[in-house]
Amino acid sequence: MTVPELSGTQEAILAAYAELIEEVGSDDVSYRVIARRAGIAERTVFRNYPTRVDLLLATAAWIEATLFAREESHSIFDIPLAIRDAMQRYDARPELAHVVAETAMRGVSGAAPSPGRAHLERLLDAEVPSLDAAQRRAVIAALSHLDSVGTWVTFRREFGMDRRDIADAAAWAAEAVLDDIRDRVSPRPIT
Amino acid sequence: MEEPVDTATAILASAAVLLRERMFDDISYRALADEVGISERTIYRQYPTRAHLLAALSSWIEQTRFPLPPFVTVSDFRAAVHERFRAFDALPAYAYVGARASAISPTLDTEPAHITRAIEAMLDVAAPTLNRRDRRRIAASLLYFSSAMFWARLRTGFDLDAGDICDAFDRAVDTVLAKLPSASAKWAEP
Repeated sequence: MTVPELSGTQEAILAAYAELIEEVGSDDVSYRVIARRAGIAERTVFRNYPTRVDLLLATAAWIEATLFAREESHSIFDIPLAIRDAMQRYDARPELAHVVAETAMRGVSGAAPSPGRAHLERLLDAEVPSLDAAQRRAVIAALSHLDSVGTWVTFRREFGMDRRDIADAAAWAAEAVLDDIRDRVSPRPIT
Repeated sequence: MEEPVDTATAILASAAVLLRERMFDDISYRALADEVGISERTIYRQYPTRAHLLAALSSWIEQTRFPLPPFVTVSDFRAAVHERFRAFDALPAYAYVGARASAISPTLDTEPAHITRAIEAMLDVAAPTLNRRDRRRIAASLLYFSSAMFWARLRTGFDLDAGDICDAFDRAVDTVLAKLPSASAKWAEP
């Protein structure tokens, strides 16, 4: 997952905003309040993030890269485990999870709805290089979709699942996606 | 367009018109009030926050623009979802509103979506003896792969059109239904 370089000031702004979102229970927090929490001038916030959408995109990316960071998977077949952990992390910070989920669905450039895509592609290509283009795309799309906060939001909201059930169902679905390719790994070269 | 019957609906109809030229974030209550010909205060009374407006707008769009074709069997379900994805492609600005509204923290006591109930009913008929946990895991996966979020992610993150998105959806449905025990497997075939 790529994290854009942040200045110390930017990091202070994003951390202050994330903190306030959790306290207030909404992303509707004024620049003035964010600036006061970060201990800087309001115009500094505006200079770094001219619009609210800029601020939300940066905050969501920062939250994904820090608070919701995944342990790195070294195999595509470990992804269900990473998904299980991620769901538990989302469940512990529900307000932030909703902000990240909504931001990914804005349909604007920079919203990065599949930040983990490149990593999944690298793993899949290394282990199961024999897939045709449509199969490969379908596996990556399904796993990207499951490995996202949208899963947590949907399973919770539509089925009233709790943390344990969400983590279980999301990992189960990812295992299902992998079933087709489980036995198609390219043999290890003999060294 | 249908005749708006009340103020709340008139506001949503006008918001939908404005969505054709700008993003939801760029529709101010001021502009919306001018478009409807009412005061800004009236809009606030109906929709105290933008999250309320987004949720109401999404469900209105869903009903008027993306009605879910009824389905009982899995093949009807697949066809219904394909039709929706194609409708989303034809009206992307509206479909993004749906994807986004389904991601926000619920503003009211949200009922499960119509499609959630329809998927559960489909499974009840098709696999009546399936245990509750597996039934719910299957229902949740099917719902999530048929969602506006799936469409939006594949369109924005993968640059796919409705045809490719339908293909990815079908393959995902196949993998989920392949988890069913063999007694239920017959109805799962496309």
